[in-house]
Amino acid sequence: MGEQKSILIIGGGISGITTAIEAAEAGYDTTIVERNPYLGGRVAQMFKYFPKLCPPYCGLEINFRRIKQNPKVKFYTLSEVESISGSEGDFKVSVKVNARYVNEKCTACDKCVEACPAERPNDYNFGMDNTKAIYRPHDMAFPMRYVIDEQACKGSACSECVKVCKYGAIDLDMKPSTVELNVGSIVTATGWNPYDATKMENLGFGKIKNVITNMMMERLSAPNGPTKGKIKRPSDGKDVQSIAFVQCAGSRDENHLPYCSAVCCMASMKQATYIRDKNPESKVYIFYIDLRTPGKYEDFLRKVQSDENIEMIKGKVAKIEEDGDGGAIVTAEDIVGGGKVHQKVDMVVLAAGMESALKNNGLVSTIKTEESSFAISEGQAAGIYVAGVAGRPNDVTTSVQGATGAALKSIQSLVRR
Amino acid sequence: MPDNIITPDIQFVRELKEAGGDTLKKCYQCATCSVVCPMSPDNKPFPRKEMVMAQWGMKDELAADPDIWLCHNCNDCTKYCPRGARPGDVLGVMRQKVIKENAVPAFMGNVVTDPKKTLVALAIPFVLFLAVLGFTGHLGIPEGDKIVYSKFLPISFIEIIFMSAVALTGISYLISLNGFWTKMSKQNGLSYSKGFVPALVETVVEILTHKRFEKCEVNADRKNGHMLVFYAFIGLLITTIWITYYYYVPKIHSPIPLTDPMKWLANLSALALIVGVLILIFNRIKDKGFDTRSSSFDWTFVIMILLLALTGILTEVIRLAGIASLAYPMYFIHLLFVFYTIVYFPYSKLAHMGYRTLAITYSKMTGRDIAL
Repeated sequence: MGEQKSILIIGGGISGITTAIEAAEAGYDTTIVERNPYLGGRVAQMFKYFPKLCPPYCGLEINFRRIKQNPKVKFYTLSEVESISGSEGDFKVSVKVNARYVNEKCTACDKCVEACPAERPNDYNFGMDNTKAIYRPHDMAFPMRYVIDEQACKGSACSECVKVCKYGAIDLDMKPSTVELNVGSIVTATGWNPYDATKMENLGFGKIKNVITNMMMERLSAPNGPTKGKIKRPSDGKDVQSIAFVQCAGSRDENHLPYCSAVCCMASMKQATYIRDKNPESKVYIFYIDLRTPGKYEDFLRKVQSDENIEMIKGKVAKIEEDGDGGAIVTAEDIVGGGKVHQKVDMVVLAAGMESALKNNGLVSTIKTEESSFAISEGQAAGIYVAGVAGRPNDVTTSVQGATGAALKSIQSLVRR
Repeated sequence: MPDNIITPDIQFVRELKEAGGDTLKKCYQCATCSVVCPMSPDNKPFPRKEMVMAQWGMKDELAADPDIWLCHNCNDCTKYCPRGARPGDVLGVMRQKVIKENAVPAFMGNVVTDPKKTLVALAIPFVLFLAVLGFTGHLGIPEGDKIVYSKFLPISFIEIIFMSAVALTGISYLISLNGFWTKMSKQNGLSYSKGFVPALVETVVEILTHKRFEKCEVNADRKNGHMLVFYAFIGLLITTIWITYYYYVPKIHSPIPLTDPMKWLANLSALALIVGVLILIFNRIKDKGFDTRSSSFDWTFVIMILLLALTGILTEVIRLAGIASLAYPMYFIHLLFVFYTIVYFPYSKLAHMGYRTLAITYSKMTGRDIAL
């Protein structure tokens, strides 16, 4: 047996890091390539996640510690796979590593942020607040190292951050580099992006005040979010007393996403508990076509249904109008009760679906996808495997289980020759 | 035993699908359509419930349903439908089936609502007129330089044929509408908040102004086309009465000179008809951001109206050009389409005028009207 090659994992979300850690703990070298400046992906943006409804850090922290302790896990952040060639056992992978402008000497002391004069919309919070051009990706980011947004930074002409950094951690001349990797097998764990809600013209996202997406709701509820965990209306900061969830906002719709995104029903019910826990007076309306709560999740449905301040209405919201005081009026046909419902609420959450991150991605020349842009599970080239939402919309639990399976598959690929 | 047992009428479902409603089974009852429809009332909105009725083949319920007639085929429902179930098309096909279902006598409904039998429908006046021509000895082209259509087919014969035919089908139409009203009011069993006459007057005013039609957003051009066709028919009706008056009272016989006000109205109406029907046709063809289709029943009717207008104009133009060998045959062909349009109206798409008027009236009486 010659030199054991490593396993490349594209994407450092919950699926990617699970695959990497599982394979590394079995004794194999792994390399994660992550586009964001931090690991953890979408899960890191949650307030709580299924099934235990715990904050994501509790799960992610354990994984990050396993990564820190294990020299067999390497990772590149702010990086993207540019090309893949070769075949099973001998893939040549070209990875572009973007400049972070902050090196490993960073202690996260925050002095640079105080000095920085430029701002940028905070994409981690979906633009609901701003950070400085130099910023910590989020409170518990891993790696805990700051980063400079080159679009917002004024560059070496400013250099205020460099002046205040006692550790010499900031290098405004840093350049992007390309790393060539030679790996034995590849796991695609590219995950998903929230569907662009502005495309649903009848739902008014981006035009009507206080219509937000479910991922924005996670950020609004999280203590490290733009409102420090107080659920307030983005337009005027009013405490939200009533909220409508619009299910299948884009999903199961051949004009948008023709498939079910699998998690949105559970996500909305979970988010209903956020506001009910924080505000006992609040009223919640969930408008749905069908409530999809497979298996044990049926219990969670029962729990949410037993709350009399949570009303579930069978009928899809197809019209949202702005009300004078910053509220919104959602309209649906109540199929069970009969008649149209015009429900006025303080805020509307669109349960926007999952779009595969492989959509419009250069990787699709190597990773075979379905029409929906999700990677096919059977029939990839030898040595290429799929984990998590890259393959199909899934919740965290299912993704993690699949990721463990993908780790085994990628190990088999290395060992069997 | 449960009180209500629904037995799906598979045959009826199949008929709907074959007539152009083949997408109806794709509906998964999300009710997007009921919300985006600009005509749908808050109380018992449509067309979501009609789609499930179609899937179950609930023929009797659909025949008594006012809402398929409240639909103006704006197609917002089809545009926003997440499943491509095309409620707009399906409701159009339902209207065709209800016209057929309510037709008196039934066989006329069978012939006229079936696009495949259009030639049979046209063969009836063809044989009838040929028989009259043979009987009066006018099978050839009449002599004389001046083209006078009454030399070919005398006015009295035309009047006898059309008046008796229209009287018969008119009575049949009234019977059909009466049946429809009875079914509708019995099945829906809603209480009235307004009387029939005031509701009807409101409805007629709305129709004259096409105010309801203005609510169609996705398909706004249809309003103009429909309005032109609508007023063209009214103009042609007035023309017909006018010329009958000329014939019997001042005894002015056709051809009427182009300078006569009656002729102005006649030509203006013909022009409006052709422009209106062309707008409707182009509107069906053009891309509105979603795939547009309409059933062959709808197409049959617009094509018949187009042919009616074209042959009418040609009959006049060729007469003015003095080409007798073409003028008389063209007049003959034109009469076939005139017959189709005015004698078959209770069974063609034109029948919607009575059904829709009654359905809107009923919706006003039962407090289900929408704000215009």
